[in-house]
Amino acid sequence: MDSGYVALVLNAHLPFVRQPDYPSFLEERWLFESLSETYLPLLRVFARLEADKVPWKLNLAVSPTLEAMLGDSLLQQRYVDWLDAQIELAEKEVARCADDDAFRPLAAMYHELYTKNREDFSVLYGGNIIGALDFYFKKGRIDLMTSGATSAFMPIYRDYPEAIAAQIEAAVVSFRAAFGRSPSGFWMPQLGWYPGVEEPLSAYGLQYSVVSTRGALLGDPTPRSGSYAPVACPNGFTAFIRDVAATEAVWSETSGFPADPVYRDFYRDIGFDLPLDYIGPYVEQQQIRTFTGFKYWAITGPGDQKVPYDAERASLRVEDHVERFLRDRVLQAKAAAKHMGGRTPLMVAPYDAELFGHWWYEGPQWIETLFRLAHHTDEIQFVTLSEYMRTSPENFESVPEFASWGDGGYGGVWLEKSNDWIYRHVFKMIERMTELAERFPNESGLRERVLNQAAREVLLAQASDWPFLLRAGKSGSFARKQIEDAVTNFNRIYEMLCANTVGTEWLTRLEKRNNIFPSINYRVFRRKR
Amino acid sequence: MNVERLNGLSIDALYALADKMGLDLPPELERVFVVEALLEAFEEDSEERKASGDAAVHIEEKKYSGSELDEIDASLDAAPCIECRYNETVVHVIARDPEWAFVFWDVKDDTFDELRANPAFSCLFLRVVKESASEGKAAASFEVVVGDDDDHWYLHLPDEGCSYRVDLYARLGSRSRLLAHSAIVRTPRALMADSLAALDADAATLATLSGLASLEIVQAPEHHPSRILGGFDE
Repeated sequence: MDSGYVALVLNAHLPFVRQPDYPSFLEERWLFESLSETYLPLLRVFARLEADKVPWKLNLAVSPTLEAMLGDSLLQQRYVDWLDAQIELAEKEVARCADDDAFRPLAAMYHELYTKNREDFSVLYGGNIIGALDFYFKKGRIDLMTSGATSAFMPIYRDYPEAIAAQIEAAVVSFRAAFGRSPSGFWMPQLGWYPGVEEPLSAYGLQYSVVSTRGALLGDPTPRSGSYAPVACPNGFTAFIRDVAATEAVWSETSGFPADPVYRDFYRDIGFDLPLDYIGPYVEQQQIRTFTGFKYWAITGPGDQKVPYDAERASLRVEDHVERFLRDRVLQAKAAAKHMGGRTPLMVAPYDAELFGHWWYEGPQWIETLFRLAHHTDEIQFVTLSEYMRTSPENFESVPEFASWGDGGYGGVWLEKSNDWIYRHVFKMIERMTELAERFPNESGLRERVLNQAAREVLLAQASDWPFLLRAGKSGSFARKQIEDAVTNFNRIYEMLCANTVGTEWLTRLEKRNNIFPSINYRVFRRKR
Repeated sequence: MNVERLNGLSIDALYALADKMGLDLPPELERVFVVEALLEAFEEDSEERKASGDAAVHIEEKKYSGSELDEIDASLDAAPCIECRYNETVVHVIARDPEWAFVFWDVKDDTFDELRANPAFSCLFLRVVKESASEGKAAASFEVVVGDDDDHWYLHLPDEGCSYRVDLYARLGSRSRLLAHSAIVRTPRALMADSLAALDADAATLATLSGLASLEIVQAPEHHPSRILGGFDE
């Protein structure tokens, strides 16, 4: 007898960081680290669950920028090169730690991780991670969703329906190209919802999304099942609601599972600890210290005094945490069920996919254990959001309020003093792009290529990652340059079109550099009437 | 950020960093005091962020793995290297949350020159107009004088869940000249659409079980007066 349904929703996203003009680029490591610590380990989890016939299912949103990078041959080759360097470092670490009882097994653990990643990526998947995900999509294990083309924080652009449509259309087209079918679910970047966004989402055939608890509870009218059932917008679009308790159990940086003292510490890394003449070949440009992924210490507690990481102890703690998670969900579901009039409560647990493995090293193991232990209980059943919609199509009608999962619950993360200058430029780009699309509605050949590239630059400038990074003080120069480049490229195109001159050589170079959204159609920016 | 890394920066970079951190340091302060002030500010900033409970954002930061460059970045001038205006007369407003909106504007050079040449011109100001739900009712508004060199402000909007428009005016003696007006924006609700008392018992319990308290969501009172209604010219 099910007490409750749980929907695990992972959002896999990275901004477009492909930099072909440079032999290596620091920010491309974000992709390599996520592949090594999250995507490939998760695929191994899925394979083991399949092999052991453990039922599992989850939702996975793959952002179009990540999708593009995973399918990019240059980045695939660079990842293999990076893995080779990691394996070389691992070999050196095994030798360096040979006489150290605490670190020797950890160096061996990393050697195994990177060797396995190299084998899986190159041999098992032939570099095709999208294909691997598609395999589980077709099997019905993964309910794949798309997201905003460049993860724009939608509420900020609500006055520009053309820009919202472009974010959705480019995403849908790119999903179809990658997976051969249309998506039904749309991950709102940063869970940034606003009333009315359900209209363009529905217009592109999308059926559901996930909203923040705040947005749902402030919805009009107030949902009658709290966050324990989705709400239906008047146009039929379904908004699933983030469950606070289920997400906080994993999400909270201080009290969530990943903060447990026995788990691997994220911050302490040999990239910062070992002499530069040793670590140099494995950090950026041989001289800029950065994370290498080789981390030997447990969280231990606040302060710098750490104890060596003990993987076996951490594994035992993972089981404890899964048991606690399931027990708490059963209690929560039972409490809610008393008020649901016979309907089974649904708890939607959305997380950033990269949390699992990259930050929380034991995260993939936690997911694996979650499905294995849940298999032995009849009180919690995992569902995907599409599956839930099929079995429970009738939902209370309400429109969620503008909200997000960011600090303060609204738009404060993406609109504050460090990043507000962006919007003057991006708004102007959108207005000018709309003007161009109106002036040149039926172009073909070179002019169409130019207009499509202009549309790409608008999308790239809209990415919510840039204001996020500016606020966080991480890779701020990089983020600023991405916006500046997009604005500069766009303005140059605009001026070229106004002057009726097109620099073919420059355009071709730009198309090769920013090669995302190959099938984009600039006409999406035509004025919505 | 630590003392060694701060010591590696020029005094100009240290001042730029202090400015970015919102520190108002006296000019020509000795280097050691600038570094000390920065370290204190970093410590406070870090504690504030830890205490903010901004978990989703903190977690997301982790995937953008750090390097030494982050700290060097922080010392760079944050000003973008692109033209900062488009020489147009325009005003935009973006609702950020139930209380605050970001407003940015520009006045075309020709228009500004013409205004300055007019002896009656005294200032630019923003008129924030609350759109009335009922037709025929006079719109409430308040005005904010802005400097000639200003081009953006964060404005406190009195009421959650209401629609506003911002107009950009030039004051010319006792008259005002409308230069531009924004689109209408709506502030999101901070209060529940229905009070718990108005919900049936099950719905009220489920709303509570969904985390009303941890999200610090307040239920709608029977009557919710404008927080700074006095600021409006009705």
